[in-house]
Amino acid sequence: MSRATIASTLGIVCALVSCNADQSDEVRALPAAHEADSTALAIDTMAVGRPGGARAPDTTDHIQPGQLRTVATAPVMNWTGPGGKPFEVQIRTEDPATANARRFGTITLRNSARRRSPDLGQYPCTSCHLGRGMVLRDARIKDAHQNIKPDHPAQTGATCATCHAADNVELLALRNGERATLDHAYRVCAQCHFSQAESWAGGAHGKRLDGWQGRRVVMGCADCHDPHKPAIESRTPFRAPQLKRPPYRRP
Amino acid sequence: MSLDLRNTHAEDEGTVLQKRVDRRRALGILLGGAAVGAQALSACSPVAPVSDEEREAKLLQWQEYVKKNYRFMSDEERVDTIARLERLANIKHNVDVRIQATPAQPGVMFGYAFNISKCKGYRACVEACINENNLDRRAGTQYIRIFEMEGEEVNLDEADATFQHEVPAEGHFYMGTQCFQCADPPCVKVCPVGATWQEPDGITVIDYDWCIGCRYCMAACPYWARRFNWAAPEVPAAELNPNQHYLGNRARKKGVVEKCTFCIHRTRQGRLPACAEACPTGARVFGNLLDPNSEIRWVLEHKRIFRLKEDLKTEPRFWYFTD
Repeated sequence: MSRATIASTLGIVCALVSCNADQSDEVRALPAAHEADSTALAIDTMAVGRPGGARAPDTTDHIQPGQLRTVATAPVMNWTGPGGKPFEVQIRTEDPATANARRFGTITLRNSARRRSPDLGQYPCTSCHLGRGMVLRDARIKDAHQNIKPDHPAQTGATCATCHAADNVELLALRNGERATLDHAYRVCAQCHFSQAESWAGGAHGKRLDGWQGRRVVMGCADCHDPHKPAIESRTPFRAPQLKRPPYRRP
Repeated sequence: MSLDLRNTHAEDEGTVLQKRVDRRRALGILLGGAAVGAQALSACSPVAPVSDEEREAKLLQWQEYVKKNYRFMSDEERVDTIARLERLANIKHNVDVRIQATPAQPGVMFGYAFNISKCKGYRACVEACINENNLDRRAGTQYIRIFEMEGEEVNLDEADATFQHEVPAEGHFYMGTQCFQCADPPCVKVCPVGATWQEPDGITVIDYDWCIGCRYCMAACPYWARRFNWAAPEVPAAELNPNQHYLGNRARKKGVVEKCTFCIHRTRQGRLPACAEACPTGARVFGNLLDPNSEIRWVLEHKRIFRLKEDLKTEPRFWYFTD
């Protein structure tokens, strides 16, 4: 083969390849990732054509800010966030199972305090109680509330009725005579722990869910702190780093 | 048909000869042609049979070698390189990944605050970070270090980042470090090839395909925030996070530097970084510094705050605070 023939062969193959590349890239779209004015550089990689066929839709991709909507929420009463803006607290009592089944991408909050949801085994109260302290199912009497060692109110000489409404087991009683549901337990806590509540409303205490942008949803006090035993218990940490920094020596 | 192809070829050659393309692109065309030619020849010989996929991967790799720095790519070039990288991941490792090129949101400057009164040293953030950012499992790479300190004084010389006992330990407190996304980053200044730079939302990123592995940035960083890949990172396919960003957690190569990007693939979509989302104590506060009604601004205005090695004037966008 002469040099010219080789060169032209190479050129033809080259051209073939470039043709193929053009074909594979013919599906190309550039929708806005977030807002209309950011279209200049927005590249939607989801739309890039691939030989393997169309991708399965993934709900974790291209979430609009503030549109995660993965948590059931209720507006927070009596407290406002930074700038006097209202915020929301996540609801746990309506369906604890689904609330706990949330996954964050590939992350599972295995060691998270959010594991408490399934532990609310005695919820709803009406599964045993009807009206004033009436028990419907005998089978559940044995374990009923026996696991609760009220360390927290005990320190202050408090009893069940200090926080729980005596006439309605589903509600909590505030000192001013008002009632609060279990999802608004922060109202009970804030009666004594005022500085913590202030930090919580501002964003320095507690934990935000659903992203940093858009609506602000936070966890309530009882999502981390067991109301009957609020101190966080110790546990074994995730493994220590294998990669160690060499000790620094001053020259 | 053949006539058409020859015409295309003639056009290509003409473009090269008339110097309407830059040196890099011309090199790419020539190398690509040579690679395909070599592949075609070897395909003809019975000694070394090469599958179509291998041939395609070779070609894609050649094209990857001669692409531009990410900052100077056009939208089309970005789409092309992302398509190539996704295809290469599919061919080589049989995984389907989605690589974003989501740009910075206007009016956003990311900031981070870390509550040393709240952190209990569980290292849930470390675990989440490893999973989210596809960190090398074999070398045990970690972006985040949690220091255990005794008493009430921040003393990093005496701090222990390798504790493995039940936490929190009596009389100790914990303090996490990672990349602080400095406003005046020394790592960016020393890079000889411009492979690392600061994005408009304050995140310092690395173009892994432009990094030459000189590790000047690692020497310049006063916080030891950068990690070097002595070998190609290994991540089990089942644990791979397919949601990736070109400047973030996409596959790194042997011999390049990587670092925390505040989970750029998540935060640019309005989500929290993996560490902040995984923290069971709520010690981590993340948000937009330019939004006066954000949580981070409230923390900075109402709490006692400090930054690490503030005298170096690197202006980290990462504050520590106490209750």
